[in-house]
Amino acid sequence: MTAACSLPERLAVLLAKEFSDGEVGFTGLGTGRAAAVYITGIPLAAMALAQRTHAPSLTVLLAGWSHNPDLSQLHGLPELEFDERLRDLPCEAQSIDYPGHFVLKRGDISFGFSSGVQVDSQGNLNGVCVGDPSRPDVRLVGPILHPEHMTLFGREYIMMPHHEVRNFVEKVDYVSGVGYPGGLAGRAELGLHSGGPALVITPKCIFNFDREIGRMTVRSIHASVSEAALRSATGFELGDLSEVPPTPEPTEEDLHLLRNVVDPRGHLLPDLDQEG
Amino acid sequence: MVLRKSKQVSLADAVGRVGDGARIALGGFSVYQRPMAFVRELIRQNRRDLTVVGVVNGPEVDMLAGSNALKCVESSYVGLEKFGLAPNFRRRVQEGKLEMVDYPELMSWDRFRASEQAQTFLPVSFLGGSDVVQRNPKIKEFDCPLTGRRLWAVPPADPEIAIIHAIMGDEYGNVLVPRRRLLPQSLDITLARSCDRIIVTVERIVSNDEVRRQAELNQVPSYRVECIAEAPWGAHPCPVLGISRIDESAFEEYVRAAKTDESFAKYLDATVHGLSDHDAYLENLGVARLAALQTTGVGT
Repeated sequence: MTAACSLPERLAVLLAKEFSDGEVGFTGLGTGRAAAVYITGIPLAAMALAQRTHAPSLTVLLAGWSHNPDLSQLHGLPELEFDERLRDLPCEAQSIDYPGHFVLKRGDISFGFSSGVQVDSQGNLNGVCVGDPSRPDVRLVGPILHPEHMTLFGREYIMMPHHEVRNFVEKVDYVSGVGYPGGLAGRAELGLHSGGPALVITPKCIFNFDREIGRMTVRSIHASVSEAALRSATGFELGDLSEVPPTPEPTEEDLHLLRNVVDPRGHLLPDLDQEG
Repeated sequence: MVLRKSKQVSLADAVGRVGDGARIALGGFSVYQRPMAFVRELIRQNRRDLTVVGVVNGPEVDMLAGSNALKCVESSYVGLEKFGLAPNFRRRVQEGKLEMVDYPELMSWDRFRASEQAQTFLPVSFLGGSDVVQRNPKIKEFDCPLTGRRLWAVPPADPEIAIIHAIMGDEYGNVLVPRRRLLPQSLDITLARSCDRIIVTVERIVSNDEVRRQAELNQVPSYRVECIAEAPWGAHPCPVLGISRIDESAFEEYVRAAKTDESFAKYLDATVHGLSDHDAYLENLGVARLAALQTTGVGT
């Protein structure tokens, strides 16, 4: 028996099960309400839930610098990375340099979360532009930490707040974070011997990867999303979906923990559908 | 007795030291603690063809882009965080009038560290498959001469001049950084060690005695600094850690104004060209508005 739950709650519970004890998870902040929930809110709730169910030694890195912050003292989703409110949020350690405490190039970060305007069938991520990069139709913010997320982190969860044909493309217009061109062998040829995207989380489905051939595959489809709707919102071929299971529903216990312990004020996991 | 030389200058004189075509780094990070009074004065003095090399850039680059003061930007990000994309920057790049060279974020910090160590290149291991490499002819692939590992040689940041905004300093150019600092302030310290021409604006010029009382906060000693200018509220509308909050309504007004060249020209008239200097800018904002942004006001 499961209770009715919102999509952010379902995604947080699903992600929590991906994390292992002792890992270090890195979150940044997103631009815009939906992005903020996908990039910051859901990951923080998922990590806090994992700490309470099976991974008490997981370390949460908020905004890339605040270690294991007391999330119960948040007064909303954090919006400013380096202001006094976040500085004064109780935590275990504050990195004041970059990277500072965590030794990024020696592999301290187990996993991270990132987003972009486009992701392609190989898992390449684009946050730079739409169209020809030398004279783009739409210029966006830039590669930011995508190159590091997709190579120096142990694995990456790509969080896509929108799932439309323009976001899920056969080939991205700019590779700011590299996926699996040529599969794992292709990555090795590029000098990349670890890291890469693990899952892609969207409002319609969960993707994982056939890492040998280097292609995104549908792991599960969310309730109320039809196979046809998923295909028509995705700009690359999804293959046979007949065996793909529905995205699992959270248990009562997981939901209880999320709503009463992890996020009692509903700051991390607002119901975006209800907000309209 | 011979007197120690004062390096204190007016803001206009400090800005006058940055010529057309200069390659500069502007302090702060994203929307935090940018030397905005300095940037407005650059625009007032009609500077052209600047290259800004940075890590994570924001309103300072967008204002310069909207004023046609920029030729090139090298950074991992130009945006306004929770206030969205940088409208002028976006328009200029889409028009083909501004060259953007994209670098990864951590690598952008390391480019300044390479400059600090006077290296001719930065070795990077993780660029395979990235368009950061494909689209940048200045990055060269090579094999590590010791291990044979595949690496990329990345050019250092090498700014000609770095300009930072700090909480306080003395007339000799000693610069204090708060004990409880965060990444933006630490990046300022890195910038101030990455080249040989450092220009500093401060909220307050204090006495050398006051610097001596908090010598452990002096992260940029006087001999590193070319000149120092007092610019209270000199990062507005950006926050200064320990001094003032971000001015959200000013950012919202900015984003609306920057949507088109026409509305941005009016904005520049009202906030830069129509005002004689930074004092006039502050007077225009008014005491009540500035006081509402104040935090502890202590800074350290």
